This record gives sequence, C-alpha cells and structure tokens, in this order.
Amino acid sequence: MKTPVARFRYGILFSLLSALTVILFTASIVAGTVSIPVSEIINILAGGEASRPDWEIIVRELRLPRTVTALVAGAGLSVSGLLMQTVFRNPLAGPYVLGISAGASLGVAVVVMGFSFIPGYALTGGGDWHTVIAAWAGSGAVLVLILLVSFRVRDIMTILILGIMFGSAAGALVSVLQYFSTEAMLKSFMIWTMGSLGGVTGQQLAIMVPAVAGGLIIAAVSVKTLNTMLLGEDYARSMGLNITLARVVIFFSTSLLAGTITAFCGPIAFVGIAVPHLARMIFRDADHAVLLPATVLTGSSVMLAADIASRMPGMEGSLPVNSVTALLGIPVVIWIVIRNQKLTGIF
Amino acid sequence: MNETRPVLHTDNLTVGYGEAGRPGSKVFGGIGIDARRSELVALFGPNGIGKSTLLKSLVRLLSPLSGKICLHGTDINDFTAGRFARMVGYVSTDPVRVNNLKVYDLVSLGRYPHTGWMGRLGSRDVEYVEEAMEMVGIAGLMNKQINRLSDGERQRAMIARTLAQDTGLIVLDEPTAFLDLPNKYEIVHLLHRMAAEKGKTVIFSTHDLNIAIQEASKIWLMLPGQMHQGAPEDLILDGSFGKMFENTNLNFSTGKGEFRIRRELLGRIGVRGPATERRWTRNALERNGFGVAEGEGEGCETMITVEKLEGRRTWHISSKEVDSRFETIYELCTCLSSLAGTLCP
Repeated sequence: MKTPVARFRYGILFSLLSALTVILFTASIVAGTVSIPVSEIINILAGGEASRPDWEIIVRELRLPRTVTALVAGAGLSVSGLLMQTVFRNPLAGPYVLGISAGASLGVAVVVMGFSFIPGYALTGGGDWHTVIAAWAGSGAVLVLILLVSFRVRDIMTILILGIMFGSAAGALVSVLQYFSTEAMLKSFMIWTMGSLGGVTGQQLAIMVPAVAGGLIIAAVSVKTLNTMLLGEDYARSMGLNITLARVVIFFSTSLLAGTITAFCGPIAFVGIAVPHLARMIFRDADHAVLLPATVLTGSSVMLAADIASRMPGMEGSLPVNSVTALLGIPVVIWIVIRNQKLTGIF
Repeated sequence: MNETRPVLHTDNLTVGYGEAGRPGSKVFGGIGIDARRSELVALFGPNGIGKSTLLKSLVRLLSPLSGKICLHGTDINDFTAGRFARMVGYVSTDPVRVNNLKVYDLVSLGRYPHTGWMGRLGSRDVEYVEEAMEMVGIAGLMNKQINRLSDGERQRAMIARTLAQDTGLIVLDEPTAFLDLPNKYEIVHLLHRMAAEKGKTVIFSTHDLNIAIQEASKIWLMLPGQMHQGAPEDLILDGSFGKMFENTNLNFSTGKGEFRIRRELLGRIGVRGPATERRWTRNALERNGFGVAEGEGEGCETMITVEKLEGRRTWHISSKEVDSRFETIYELCTCLSSLAGTLCP
C-alpha cells in the first residue's frame, strides 16, 4: 500500500527510467563505426528497404541483436542479483554467488580446452553453440548441486559457503585445464571469459529471450515470497512460508537467468551486484513489487550504457564488456561497503 | 466455547536442538504448561535455561524432541503452514534491520498469511494494518523507515506486525530486552492490553520480574530441572521464585516481590522520619551494608533522624562517637563507611 505521494513519485521515477531505457536502446542502435541516418534506421526496423543494402545488414544482423542482448542481459543479471541479495540477506551477494558462472566457465573450458589431446581440435570462442551448450550444462550442474544442498541444509549461510566452494572447485579445475592447453585454445577461452554482447545471433536470441523471460516471470511471481524473506528465515516461516520450496524456486530462477546469459555472453561482472543497490538508492523502498521492475529497467539501462561505452566512436572493435561493467560497478560496490560501515542494516 | 479450556497446552514436552536421542540435544524436559484465552503469560528463568528454545518450539520453528504441543486441543504439527500462520504470531529476539523498509510495509507483512499470491492488501487487510498501528501507537510513523526508529518504536512496529497477522496466540521472545525502563513498562502493558482487550493469548519471555509480576496473569518459571506455573503471587508465596537464585548471592524478598543482593550486615541503625524519606534512607543504608532496625529503632546506639522543614531535608546521625548533620543522602553515605564496626550488632 503506497501513499498518494509515494505513488506519484514512483510514477515519475518509472516513467523517467523507461524513457532512459528507450533513449539508450535507440542510441545503441544508432551508435557505431558506420554512421547510418536515424531515418534510415527507423525505416529498416519498420521492415522497409534501406537506401544501401549493407546498412540493412548492419542494423538487422549486428546492431539490433547486440542491443536486444544488452537489454535482456542487463535485466536478467540484475534481477538474479536482487534475488540472491534477498535470499541470502547479504548486500554483496550477486548472480554468481551460487557458483553459476564458475560452472559455466568449467563447461566452456572443457569444450574449448578439454580435448586438447586430440590433434587438430580447435574451437573458436564467442557465440558458438558448442560454448553455449557447454556453459549451460556447467551452470545447470552447479544448480543441481545447490538444489540438492538446499533440500538438506536449513542454514542459508551454509548454502552460501557451499556455493562459494563449488565455484572455487570449478575454478580450480579450469586452471588445471588451462595449464595443459595450447596457447590458441587458452586465448579463445580467455576471450570468452571477457564477455561479449556482440556474438549473439538473432537465432540464438530466439532461445535466450524466452529463457530470460521465463526467469523474470518466476521472479515476478515470487514477489510476495521475497518480501516475506526480508525479515529473515524465522519470520518468513512464522508467516507460513515454505522456506525450502521458496529457495528452490528462487535458485531455479537465478540459474535460468544468470546461466542463460553467461552461456550466451560469457561472465559479466558487477552488474548483478551493483544494479539492485542502484534501484534501492533511486526508489528507497524494500518492497519487491517496486524493486523488481525498478531493477529490470535500471539493469537494462546500465547494460546498454556500458555497451555503448565499450564501443566508443573512433575505436576499432569494442572493449570487453566485462571490463566496462566492472569499471562501472566497482565504484558502486565501494559505495555499498563504505555506507554499510555506518549502517549495519541489510541493503 | 468453553472459556476455561486452554488455548495452548503441552504434554510432557522435551525441547532442544537437533535430533532426539543425540547427546547434548536436549535442553529442557518434562514441560507441562498451559495458557488460556485473554491471558498474558510471562516466561521467566535464568539465562541459558532454554526459554528461547521453548518459545521457538511453541511456534514450530523447532521440533519438540518428545511430547506434544497442542493448540485448541490439536497437535500443532497437524496444522498446515498457512493455517498455523493464521493462528500463531511470533516476534523474535533479534532486532530486524532492513534498509528502506517502511513501517507500514513492515506491519502489512503480517497480513501475508491472509492475502493471495500477489500479496495485495484488500480493504479489510488495510483496516487490520491501520488498527494494529493505532493500538501500538505508531500510526504517525507509518511512512518512516524502520532503521530510523528508536528501539522502542521498532519493537512496537514488530508487535503491530503480529497484531495485523490476527492470530489468537502471540509469542514474543524477550520483547523488552533492548529497551529503557519506561519503554519496558509500556511494551508489557501493551501486551497486557492485547490479551485483555483483544482476547488474545500472549506469551513472552523476560528478565524483568517486577514488570512481569505487575502485568502477567500467569508466570511460567523455568528452574533447573523443573518448570513451575501459576499466578505470580502463587509463585511468590510458595517460594518458587526464591529457588531461582538459591546458589547465588541474590535473595528474593517475599515481602517486596523483588530480588536483592545478599550482603553481610555491618551493623544496625535506627531510622526515624517521614515514611518516604525513611524508605530511601533505608535503601541507601542497605546498599552500604547496614541493616535497618524495625520500627523506631529503639535500643540502637546509632540513630538517623530525617527532618523535613520547608522542603529542605536534613539527616541527623547520632551515636556515642558521632553527631553530625547532612543535607543529602550522598554526604551521609560518605560518613557511614567510617562508622563500620562501631555499631550494635
């Protein structure tokens, strides 16, 4: 229940954020090394003929998929971060605390470098289906482990520690594989770990978008559950919540979101941790009915902005998106840490 | 409905952590207690005896190791989670700290067992939330963030949340722990009103015996090895409270209904004067290790006479050795230490 004043404020904030997302979305399609007039872009997106056929290819097959990927990845990673922060009641939790990205890396490492003993074996990194499926399988395996643990273990801190352990174990296996692999394989793996929004094709988006949408829908349905969890496990249970079931549902949603995005784009750091805090800063509310849409919009905007920043005009190619999000995200994380010195509250 | 039937009763209950039979899991056994409608029950006992364990078991946060807990005659394990949440509310002992959570939203969380999957509040839910905030006296704070509240206000908000949950039984684990004295009294009085006016059964653990004796209709007293229950006065008269600190240097005064630190008496002094002044002079003397003679103190060599003239008080102490006047009890006390050993036994 919001007071009229709060509702008015939220209305304005949501309109501004939506407008910002639309502006960044447009800017992301317009910006690029080849300058294409806006009228032509609108014409192409509306399905019309462009005056130059190569513009059509650039917009339809490069810029549009990349922009949609940024939008979807930003929303999905940020929401999975929000879910993890609430479930673990820890402001520094993020989409990868359960070991999802480490699992995905292991999957990719096995595919890219694990078969180095076969002569002539080589795979290119990026948006290949091999790496997508391998990453998905790796994060799925971690999810299964986490779910098995959460059915047996009640203490949420134990689950968090086990998630970190699984992640470290997967990371160690990746190191072993790296040690034994050739330089070329190592490089293609390293490029995958840097993350890329540009390698996702329209065909792959047809898988990625529904999967992320599914994760977001589960999160939206869990709004009441998430609010109940704010006060901690004892209160949640005293309000009739089945805590095991709630965790399983939320972990599944997180894995679907973070696992899918990592599979298609590689690991993308910090967005998942930082954006929920940005949303809380903007809205000053703990209600997930507000925070969830706020996180979706903020996440999309941040990711679109990071992607635009990663391919500044005058630059050949683009910076690895993982580095750009990290550079944008680190100040936010520092701010969280400094702020929490003053206030020992959650979030 | 039969009003005298207990809302809650336990049958040879053993509470503890972990699985039954494992060594060290048992905390307290043989519990047979009950609570009725409109009763305020204070759970009292030394630190570490298992008050929280018992309360958590009553609200199903812990499973009993053996025995039964019954709500309206039915084993609590036979209720579904949702139904149980509409019957029993709980306030835990750790303070809740969530940034950006507004009082109104905190209190409305209490309606969750009654709302649909979206958690949207209907007009009836809103009424419950507003009534709860009104009753605990935080209606003016509804848009404030809970992290900006004082401890007393936050505790009230937590209580309002359980009130909004609209349960017949409310269990609170040390609701007065972090509060100053006026807040302690007000919170317990609020619990008393919830029981008396709303017909709820309210159970709370506490260390504030004086408050509990004044407000509780019943005391559950956990002593090593056994549990007593009864009206506070019954437990005073049958000496149960006295057993609580048998091996410590505390004394339970059955006459005053409070604990006192046991002291070796240095000697006796007679005190004369108006009743209030006498009472507090006596308090100061006892703190300094002197006994106070009954009545007017006839036969005592040392006498203190309190005189009150036009709002000014003087304490006149006289014995064989001393004969002095003081304007405050503090000054009187500094002189007393030199007197030790010169007094009649």
